[in-house]
Amino acid sequence: MTADHPHAHAEGPNYLWAALLPLTAFLALVWGINQHALPWHLTLDWAPSLGLAATFRVDGLAAQMLALITGIGALVFIYASGYLAHEPRSGRLFGMLLLFMLAMIGAVTADNLILLFLFWELTSLTSFLLVGWKHEDAQARAAARQALLITLGGGLALLGGLILLAQIAGVWTLSGIVAAGPSLHADPRLSAALVLIMLGAFTKSAQFPFHFWLPNAMSAPTPVSAYLHSATLVKLGVYLLARLDPAFNDLPLWEFSLVGIGTLTAVWAAVLALRERDLKRILAFTTLSALGTLVLLVGLPSPGAGLAVAAFMFAHAMYKAPLFMVAGNIDHATGTRNIDRLMGLRRLMPWTAAVAVLAGLSMAGLPMSFGFVAKDVIASAKAESEVLALISYATVLVNATAVAVAGVAAVRVFWGPPEAPPGHVHEVPWSMRLPPLLLVLVALEFEFLPNLADPLLVAAAQSISPGLGAMQAATTYSFEGTLTALEITLGIGLLLFLAWDRLHALLHRVHWLDRFGPAAGYEYLLHAIPRLAAWQTRHLQTGRLSHYLRQTLAALLLMGAGLAVLSSATPRFDWPALLAWPPIAWAWALACLLILTGAVSALFLRQRIAVLMASGLIGYGSAVLFLFTGAPDLAFTQFAVETVLVVIAASVLPYLPAAKALPRPGKSLDYILAVAAGVATFMLLLHLAGMPENTELAAWFAAHSLPEAHGRNVVNVIIVDFRAFDTLGEIAVLAFSLLAALPLLAGLRRQRAMSSGS
Amino acid sequence: MMLMLILSLSVLVAASVLLILSRDTLRLVVGLAMLGGAANLMVFLAGRPGSVLPPIIAAGAETLPAAANPLPQALVLTAIVIGFALLCFALVLIANLARQDARQDSDALRANEPVATDPIKPPVMEP
Repeated sequence: MTADHPHAHAEGPNYLWAALLPLTAFLALVWGINQHALPWHLTLDWAPSLGLAATFRVDGLAAQMLALITGIGALVFIYASGYLAHEPRSGRLFGMLLLFMLAMIGAVTADNLILLFLFWELTSLTSFLLVGWKHEDAQARAAARQALLITLGGGLALLGGLILLAQIAGVWTLSGIVAAGPSLHADPRLSAALVLIMLGAFTKSAQFPFHFWLPNAMSAPTPVSAYLHSATLVKLGVYLLARLDPAFNDLPLWEFSLVGIGTLTAVWAAVLALRERDLKRILAFTTLSALGTLVLLVGLPSPGAGLAVAAFMFAHAMYKAPLFMVAGNIDHATGTRNIDRLMGLRRLMPWTAAVAVLAGLSMAGLPMSFGFVAKDVIASAKAESEVLALISYATVLVNATAVAVAGVAAVRVFWGPPEAPPGHVHEVPWSMRLPPLLLVLVALEFEFLPNLADPLLVAAAQSISPGLGAMQAATTYSFEGTLTALEITLGIGLLLFLAWDRLHALLHRVHWLDRFGPAAGYEYLLHAIPRLAAWQTRHLQTGRLSHYLRQTLAALLLMGAGLAVLSSATPRFDWPALLAWPPIAWAWALACLLILTGAVSALFLRQRIAVLMASGLIGYGSAVLFLFTGAPDLAFTQFAVETVLVVIAASVLPYLPAAKALPRPGKSLDYILAVAAGVATFMLLLHLAGMPENTELAAWFAAHSLPEAHGRNVVNVIIVDFRAFDTLGEIAVLAFSLLAALPLLAGLRRQRAMSSGS
Repeated sequence: MMLMLILSLSVLVAASVLLILSRDTLRLVVGLAMLGGAANLMVFLAGRPGSVLPPIIAAGAETLPAAANPLPQALVLTAIVIGFALLCFALVLIANLARQDARQDSDALRANEPVATDPIKPPVMEP
């Protein structure tokens, strides 16, 4: 374990003033909530020609998120100015933090789905930059890449889900989709859309099996961990799920996925927390646990669940951000975050110890803390929803772990025998003491004066559960069963705390978790993908033309067959039309005969000149057909081309090696491909002949040829007038092929001169 | 009769594919030209040839009576010329290639292609 930065004594620039930006935003938000009733709307023209408007909407849930983003943001900025005081590059970090804050504000206020996606991805990108801030550290780079790949991968799924959902609902706004609500349930595409959206939300909020990026992201500087990876960014997935919950909460797919994955994440993270020795990573695992609990609560169908989500999201941010700052302070002061080496810091860091105790009380959910209120509301929500007993047991375990971790963070490292920690330990500067202290004090005040927080919480809860009445919410604080549950939880938590080292030793020996867990799966994929790419490059890109041709043909035929099967269009074979005698039937027969003769003899003839001449028969056959089906222009062109070709062939052939017999073509695979291509052509043309003819364009050209282009030959008019650019392109092709052929011809001429000279 | 033409075209396509896959450069070029001719005829067939009257508005008349479909004719006319240009260039090209390599094997034309065991081409990463 090393400190986040060496104790360099060079003073970096002080960016304390940057905290004014989030602070101003926070004060503006408070003022706005007092002055104007929620929800607020803002609609800007974005791309009116596409019917696209940039719509923003702030309701209770968004306002709560905004309060967290700007309020905690201001404190984190103050904290960072102290934390990074000796860091010469801190300006960049503040810039990225600001960018992140703006992206978060955009993401929680956007009502338009495209805007939401754009801001969502922007938060992933800024998170990548912030996690990888210490880019000279390979571990930080790997963690940043992992966070980026997982959240952007989820973002892709989210984009697909949002587009699908918008197509089902016919609107591009979140509020419109929520309003359409149950009317969307009948659509068969809804399941796919919801699964994709849940994938996006689960990756963002680090749900199992995508949870592992969050603990690894702890290689970011502490202000970043406190801000992004506990209070705001990781709540974005929960936010989106909560936002959509009113529309889908009675769908079994939605409810079971959220409850199942949320519970699994909460329990799994609680167990994994016991395997860690790094204080910051332990806190990260409890954050995962809390995120799992939030997802579980969103999935619960009762109206009280909305209140539970709002209260717990708030409470968690209010105690977890200070705890991260405590971890940062300890790291800053002692140079380590390993709990084995941290003892008795109480005397040396009294302010930090006080913060840790107050935040720890809230995390443990003890009475007199905001965490207690949250726990109480959660218990009521679960009682209302009649959850499975299994989930209740899981919750007890999760809460007990939270108690144990609170004990580790608040008691173990600060109390106990004072041991000489490594290095010179000092209390951190005021800029690092004040922000966490303020946060825990504000949380305390909310507990004693619930009138301050309640309106915001109830407004947020009502955006999640519209069925929740204000009165109902106010009377939800019952405290009855909660105390009993609390005693059980505290008891187990205390046992866990006391047995922490033994449990850790036990779990640390479980090596299969490292080898077969989702994190190992990620590593495996990360290496397997380039190897697969290399394998297929070696096998597909052989550098042999015949291989490429076979692959291309086979792929084309397979795609055609697949399309034919998928479209399941019944082929319409118009037999009378196929078998009818056209006006000049003998010409058709002659054309067919010439084409067949040419094709077959080109295959079997062995002399080069003979192969070329045989192919000429096909051109003459086509020309005969053109001549007697009303296309004299085509016929004359084709005749001319074939005749000139004879001249050209005669002049080129002497340069080819003399009259060597040609090899017989191909292997059996080639015959299969050739027959398949022939059959495909046959089926395609039969189907084509049975399709109704669309004469719209032909009629248009016939009607406009004379009046608009003053030409009587419609084909010529099309070529030189209506589609003149096509013809220009054609002439360009001729010119280019001549230009390309000239140096080649010069080469041939030189060769002849040499051979005749020798 | 249409069926007969469709059958001929299918045979033509199959024969072109065999020629293209035969690895002999001249056959490759001839096969491509034949495939181009087959494509032209398919486009022409899509316009349902039947009328023997060319799409020419008679002197004095304002519009076209029942006549052949002019659109595929215009498309095919362009395609014939382009196909011809391509064929001529390809013939000159293979004559030049024959100057360098008398084998006339299309798979041998790989001076600029890395071999399968090329160490640079595919990035095989060790786990």
